[in-house]
Amino acid sequence: MKYSEISILLVDDDEMIRNCICAFLEDEGFMVHQASSGEEALDSIVSINPTVCISDLRLAGMDGESFIRRACRLCPTTAYLLHTGMDYPLSDELRAIGMTPADVLQKPIHELSTLTRRIVAVATAGGRIG
Amino acid sequence: MPLRYAAEQIEQHKKALVDILDTLPSIIVRVDRDGCVDLVNRRFELFSGVSAGNALGMRIVSLIPQFADQLENVGQVIDSQTPMEFDKLLCRKGSQLSYYSLEIYPLKSEGEAMAVIRIDDITEHVRIEEIMAHTEKMITVGGLAAGMAHEINNPLGAIMQNAQNIERRVSSGIPANLKAAGEVGVSLDLVRAYLEKRGIFEFISHIRTAGVRASNIINNMLHFSRRSEPQIESVDLSEMLDRTLELVASDYDMKKLYDFRNIDLVREYAPTMPPVSMVVQEMEQVFMNILKNAAQALSESGKEGTSRITMRTYADHGMAVIEIDDNGPGIDDSIRTRIFEPFFSTKEVGVGTGLGLSVAYAIVTKGHHGSLTVRSKPGQGTCFTIELPAGEELR
Repeated sequence: MKYSEISILLVDDDEMIRNCICAFLEDEGFMVHQASSGEEALDSIVSINPTVCISDLRLAGMDGESFIRRACRLCPTTAYLLHTGMDYPLSDELRAIGMTPADVLQKPIHELSTLTRRIVAVATAGGRIG
Repeated sequence: MPLRYAAEQIEQHKKALVDILDTLPSIIVRVDRDGCVDLVNRRFELFSGVSAGNALGMRIVSLIPQFADQLENVGQVIDSQTPMEFDKLLCRKGSQLSYYSLEIYPLKSEGEAMAVIRIDDITEHVRIEEIMAHTEKMITVGGLAAGMAHEINNPLGAIMQNAQNIERRVSSGIPANLKAAGEVGVSLDLVRAYLEKRGIFEFISHIRTAGVRASNIINNMLHFSRRSEPQIESVDLSEMLDRTLELVASDYDMKKLYDFRNIDLVREYAPTMPPVSMVVQEMEQVFMNILKNAAQALSESGKEGTSRITMRTYADHGMAVIEIDDNGPGIDDSIRTRIFEPFFSTKEVGVGTGLGLSVAYAIVTKGHHGSLTVRSKPGQGTCFTIELPAGEELR
C-alpha cells in the first residue's frame, strides 16, 4: 500500500496544530486536506471523500462529535479519528459507527509516528485501502 | 396557699431549672459585675474541673483563664446592656485543640446587675466548615487545572510536533527535502553536517524531551482532578497494585520527596484472587496515599538496614484483603487512634494537608463498602489493612 493512496481530512480550529500535523502527514506521503471547523469540513467532505478524517473534539461552533455524526452519513466509508486534550469517554453513537477507544487520540501526541500507525491501521481495516 | 406547699413548689421549679441548665450542651455561668460566680451548670464543672460549691464567689477569670481576654468584657456588657459574642476561640487542652464560641448576655432582671456567660464547643462545626472550604477549593483548583491543561496541551503539542517536523525536514530520507535543497543550491548532507557540528540536533532533541516531560507533569496533575463520572470496573488486584506501584514510582512530587528506589518493594500476592469491583482511580488514590505515608515514615526514621514495604493480598471470608506493611518506626497509640481524622497531621504545616488518610478512609468505607484499619508496633513498623468485598457488584 502506498501512503499517497490514503487521503486525510484534518479538522482543527487551531491553525498552529493544523499546520504542524499537516506538515508531518505530508512528509509521510499522505494526501492531506484541512478544515478549520466542522461546518467547513461538512462542505468539503463529500468532494474529498477522505480515507480517514481526523477531527478535534472541542471546536468553535459544531463540536467534533456532532461533526463526525453528520459526516459519517455523508461519507460512510471514511474512518474517523478524534483528537482531543480532554478525558473523553467514547459515546455510544460513535461506537455504533465503529469507532473504538483506540480511535481517540490524546493531545498532545508525543511522537507523531503513532498517528501514522493509527491512520494506516484504520485505512487498511474494512478494506478501505488494499 | 399553705406556706409549706409554696416552698415545695419553689423547690420543684428550682430543680426543674437546674435540670434544664444541666441538660444543655453549653457551659453556663452567671456572674456579677465584678465577674464573681453566682451560678454554674454541670457542663461548667466538667470543663473547669471545679465543683459548683467551690466555684461560687470565685472570680470567673481564675476558673477558666483561657477565656480571660473575653471575660474582661463582663462589666461593659452589663453597663451597656448589649450582648457580646466571640467566635472560634482556639483552646489547647493537652494535645487537643478545640474551638469555642463565647457569648456574654446582660441579665435583664431586677436587683443586682448580672451577666450570663454561655460557652459552646464548636470544634466539630469548625472542622466541617474547614472540610467544606477545602473541598470547594480543591474542586476549583481541579477545575482550573483541567481547563488549563487543555489550553496548554495545544501549544505543547505544537512545540513537540514542530520539533519533530524540523528533524524530519533536515533528514535525507524524504524526497521533498532533497528537491528543495537542490532548488536553493545547497547540499543536504552539508546542511546536516553543519547542524550536527553546532549541536543543533541536540537542541531539537532537548525541546522534544522537555515537551514530553511537561506533558507528563500535566497528565499526573490531571489524574486526580478528572471530572468524568467514576466508572466501576471489575479488576484483577495484582495488576491494579502493580500499576499503582508504577504510578508511585513515576510520581514527580513523590520522587522529589522520597526515593522509592531506596525502598525494597516486596509483592506477596496470593496466586489466585477473586476479581474486585472498584472505581480504579479512587482506589489508586487510596493506595498512593498509604504508600506515600509509608515512604515518608521510612525516610524520616533514618534507621539502619533496608527500608521495606510489603504489599500482600489474600482472600478471607468473601473479602479481598490488601495489606501494606512497612518496617518503619511505627505509630504511637495516641496518634494511631486519630490517624483517619480529617486535618489530623503530624507533619509540619505545609508538608501534609492531614487529608490523605481521611480521604482514603472515606473512599474505602463509604465508596467501596470496605474497611481500612491500621495496626502498629512502635519500633517495628506499621500495617494498613484494606478489606474490599470480593467479586460483588458495587452500588
